[in-house]
Amino acid sequence: MRWLFALLLFAAPALAQPEEPLVARLSQDRVEVSTTFDGASILVYGSTAQPIGPGGAEILIVTRGPEQSFTVRRKVRVLGMWFNGPSAQFLDVPAFYSVAGTLPAWRLLPEAMRGAFSLGLDLLPMESTGARAPQFRAALLELKQQAGMWQEDAAPVEIGANRLFSSRLPLPATIPAGEYRVQVLLVESRRVVAQREMRFLVERVGTAATIANVARYQPLLYGVICVLLAALAGWLGSVVFRRG
Amino acid sequence: MQVYLPIAEMSVDAFLLVGIGFGVGWLSGLFGVGGGFLLTPALLLLGIPAPVAVASGANQVLGASTSGMIAQSRRGNVDWVMGAVLVAGGLVGSVIGIQLFAFLRGAGLVDAVVSIFYVVVLGSVGSLMMMESLRAIMRRRAEAPARLHQHFWMHGLPFKIRFRKSRLFISVIPPLLVGAGIGLLSAIMGVGGGFMLVPAMIYLLGIPTAVVIGTSLFQVVCVTSAVTIMSAWQLGSVDIVLTLLLLGGGVAGAQFGAQMGGRLRGEETRALLGLLVLSVAAMLFWGLIDTPERVFNMGPG
Repeated sequence: MRWLFALLLFAAPALAQPEEPLVARLSQDRVEVSTTFDGASILVYGSTAQPIGPGGAEILIVTRGPEQSFTVRRKVRVLGMWFNGPSAQFLDVPAFYSVAGTLPAWRLLPEAMRGAFSLGLDLLPMESTGARAPQFRAALLELKQQAGMWQEDAAPVEIGANRLFSSRLPLPATIPAGEYRVQVLLVESRRVVAQREMRFLVERVGTAATIANVARYQPLLYGVICVLLAALAGWLGSVVFRRG
Repeated sequence: MQVYLPIAEMSVDAFLLVGIGFGVGWLSGLFGVGGGFLLTPALLLLGIPAPVAVASGANQVLGASTSGMIAQSRRGNVDWVMGAVLVAGGLVGSVIGIQLFAFLRGAGLVDAVVSIFYVVVLGSVGSLMMMESLRAIMRRRAEAPARLHQHFWMHGLPFKIRFRKSRLFISVIPPLLVGAGIGLLSAIMGVGGGFMLVPAMIYLLGIPTAVVIGTSLFQVVCVTSAVTIMSAWQLGSVDIVLTLLLLGGGVAGAQFGAQMGGRLRGEETRALLGLLVLSVAAMLFWGLIDTPERVFNMGPG
């Protein structure tokens, strides 16, 4: 538990100032997505003035990524073949969402309060157009969870020495770039008594980012470059590998 | 070694891609075809999104065909006039293909329609190849009388042009149509279309075999260039990292395959190629009719 030791060092100044009810930090405020990026994780940690855990207050951590729109399609069988049929479009839902706590959020707060902070996948606002059937919403929830993009109580928030807490936030390899907001809530007797908000940035860096940018903002130029590069590579290769 | 494909937005093993490129290149060298019709399905099986598989496949075919075209043009085996007419048709066909592709993507039907195109085109071409080569193997001794040039309805069409190198005086309409058809297939299937273009040039247009390979390579290079540029521009679906990894393996594989191909007889080669084409068609057909594991799927947008 080396992290717990590091945590104590970080948290020491906070413990010296008991007037702060809640102190929270992130292990990093930037995640770089490079060509060899294979997922990452961020540590959310901090300390409280009052005791947390059984018998005391509880901690909830909610993280939201940039908003995107997603289309969910259902396959239907036509002439013996499977085609994408009816679809529902979900507008501006978080591309990444995670909620974790020392206890599940539904045991700590009344539903109205959970709704206000969007604590829980069941309370995530999901406006949709197109097909109305509730299966589409359920399918989006299932697919996003399978992709690791939406997480609910994936791992509990750990408590150390009654006043320290920490939680590891796993970010999958396909995490989209953008700004991520982390809210830490201190909950006591079904009320939020203190909250802290932090942000981290997911950025594409290196060759992959350059390629994606050129392709996106100068698509015609990018197309011409692709033609020239492929022709050059093909010609060079045939010179190198000629006669085995 | 995992490498992140910036346009496909996924991580794939780089050695696997080079290996696929090598395998497809080896087969294409062995059979003397471009290999696009093997490459795009292989990419689809890997889980690369269909638009990226098609556009990057076309981009790869362009690279793989360049050196062949240069070599053929040095030997004077390209009929530039015929090539220009075929390319003109090819540009029209590929523009239509890209528009169709954009429409299908909006409707979420790209995967199914790409598969259907493959099943229909490869199924019919593969069957023809098999039948023709089996017949040839059985009748090896019976020599067919060689007719130089047959005249039929096609030769009554207007806008005749003299194609000096091909020793033809025919209407531009048939080569334009052939070019357009290949251009459409190129845009939707991510292929060069040589496996259809070459027979069409020999049997339909009556172009002498000596200039067929060079001229078809010229058409393939021009049309796949156009498909690459339009896909990048309109669909944003060309992944250059993917293309270059595939090309790396493909060019090496093609040289080894070509060496080995010299040892096979023409009819056997065509029968094997027909079998290969038919198996790809059967595999994609199975993908269309097999009950999917998940009825729901999700995409951006």
